[in-house]
Amino acid sequence: MTQTIARPDRLTSRPRIVRPRSSTQPVGRAASIPFLAPAVIFVGVLLVYPFLASVWSSLFDDNGFTQRFVGLDNFGKLVADPILARSLLNTLMWVVGTLVLPVVLGLAIAVASNSLSRRWGAFVRGAIVLPYAISGSATAALWHFLLESHGAVNQVLNTVGLGGLTTSWLLNWPQNTLSMIVASTWQATGFSVILFLVGLQSIPRDTVEAASIDGAGGWRMFASIIFPQLRPVTVVVVGMALVNSLKSFDIIWVLTQGGPARTSETLALTMYRETFLLFHVGYGSAVAVLLTVIVIAAAWLYLRTQLPRVR
Amino acid sequence: MGRVFRNVFLGICVVLWIAPLWLLVVNTIAPADTYAEDSPQWWPDGFGLLGNLARAWTEAGIGAGFANSVLYAVVCSAVAVLIATMAGFAVVVLPVRRPVLWFWFIYSGTLFPLQMFLAPLFGMYAESDLYDTQLGLGLVYVALAIPFAFFVVRNQLTTIPAELTEAAQLDGASWWRIFGSIHLPLMRTAMLAAFAFQFTWVWNDLLFGITLARSPQVTPVMAALASLSGNYGSVPTPVILTGALIVSIPTIAIFLGFQRAFARGIGASL
Repeated sequence: MTQTIARPDRLTSRPRIVRPRSSTQPVGRAASIPFLAPAVIFVGVLLVYPFLASVWSSLFDDNGFTQRFVGLDNFGKLVADPILARSLLNTLMWVVGTLVLPVVLGLAIAVASNSLSRRWGAFVRGAIVLPYAISGSATAALWHFLLESHGAVNQVLNTVGLGGLTTSWLLNWPQNTLSMIVASTWQATGFSVILFLVGLQSIPRDTVEAASIDGAGGWRMFASIIFPQLRPVTVVVVGMALVNSLKSFDIIWVLTQGGPARTSETLALTMYRETFLLFHVGYGSAVAVLLTVIVIAAAWLYLRTQLPRVR
Repeated sequence: MGRVFRNVFLGICVVLWIAPLWLLVVNTIAPADTYAEDSPQWWPDGFGLLGNLARAWTEAGIGAGFANSVLYAVVCSAVAVLIATMAGFAVVVLPVRRPVLWFWFIYSGTLFPLQMFLAPLFGMYAESDLYDTQLGLGLVYVALAIPFAFFVVRNQLTTIPAELTEAAQLDGASWWRIFGSIHLPLMRTAMLAAFAFQFTWVWNDLLFGITLARSPQVTPVMAALASLSGNYGSVPTPVILTGALIVSIPTIAIFLGFQRAFARGIGASL
């Protein structure tokens, strides 16, 4: 389930399909039930109902055994919780980091490798894209090995004479969050490269040729001709990076479990720890609700500001 | 000048991206018994790959998890894509009341963070004996895979001309007949692309795997890998890295095999 953002314009403005009148088949409406029911039941019972139950449960003080209605108290506790402040800060770092690094690098690599010869281009893109096919958990296992105190990163720093920069990458904040953002960038950039390449190939050749006849080249060509035409792709890439970074879980879970002392937790980790390790079920649900509000607000704000200009 | 800058930039990127993969391969090949914990190797020194494979597969439980994940990723994704295609057919082709409402109901499943489903699912499963069973985990994977597959397939379905359906109706074909002999064959590519997406997603899932199951006969491979790498120090590094390599093979294969379908699917939804 690669998560993406729906494009409301597609949904509402598509030409309505002329539906066959039910005169030919009087039981037309009943006939649709067996087609629709399995999806509706699966989604309703296993996704929509749990979603509503989570919202409801955030109003209770629930330790896994007893529950007591407390209204919005959990949200009041959230505001005062120092763990949550750190968790929000880390989540913000993830959002900024995963927007800037994979999107900018992906765009730069796609544009730069697009003008290479066929063979070199394929080689460069293959190298960048391959980690994307590796799961978050495997990426984390590999980067644990790189980031350990006597891991490969410190080894390289020592070898090239930058021994002063070596540190316990995963044991201190903010290095632990920053290193995990780098690990995630290593894995995720390939995906933006693919999307930007698809976008580049859809740019009509004659606009580029016309601009080069007018004397545009290099940076000028990129800024005035190519990038504006990549806008629809950029909207999708940024939107997906935004939503995915808010929910990032597996890389952090495998690398630090949010530690040490909960310093590298993001909202996704805080929710998991409060609910399943500390049995603060109601409080954990409140964290999940907060995360949902942030995800939906971010997606909505982003689409609202970006979509009208796409057309 | 521009060209030199471009080549240097790409060169640096390629080195930075390949170095971790190179280390992964070299240190996977290193024999676990003689492995010096203090420094990663940059060049293979002895051949221990098969021994590491065997240890990761059996001792570390990657093998059992692998079998479970194959089951979940293949069966759940296939079932989810079929169910999603039927629902797409209903919303796009059949005379359903309020198709937009049903669209949003089913699609809403992709909008919420996964954390919203976890605690109530855990509660429901604990009460209904589905906790820590393959069936229970499988049902959740089907449900989670439906909304996005539905989105992909539905977009494709709207491009099939309504005249095809009308002609078949005039010939007296039933809805099942129309679905089976017109839409299913036309939707093959989109369904395959959706399957590849969902296979990758189910295969990579860690969150539900560690929440809704705990015994090795049920947990997926990512849970096994996560607990393996939680044991850095007691498990030899080459064994952990071999585990990471094994779990990556199916997704890399799917990715290479479906590269064109992926690109086309992405291109179509832009």
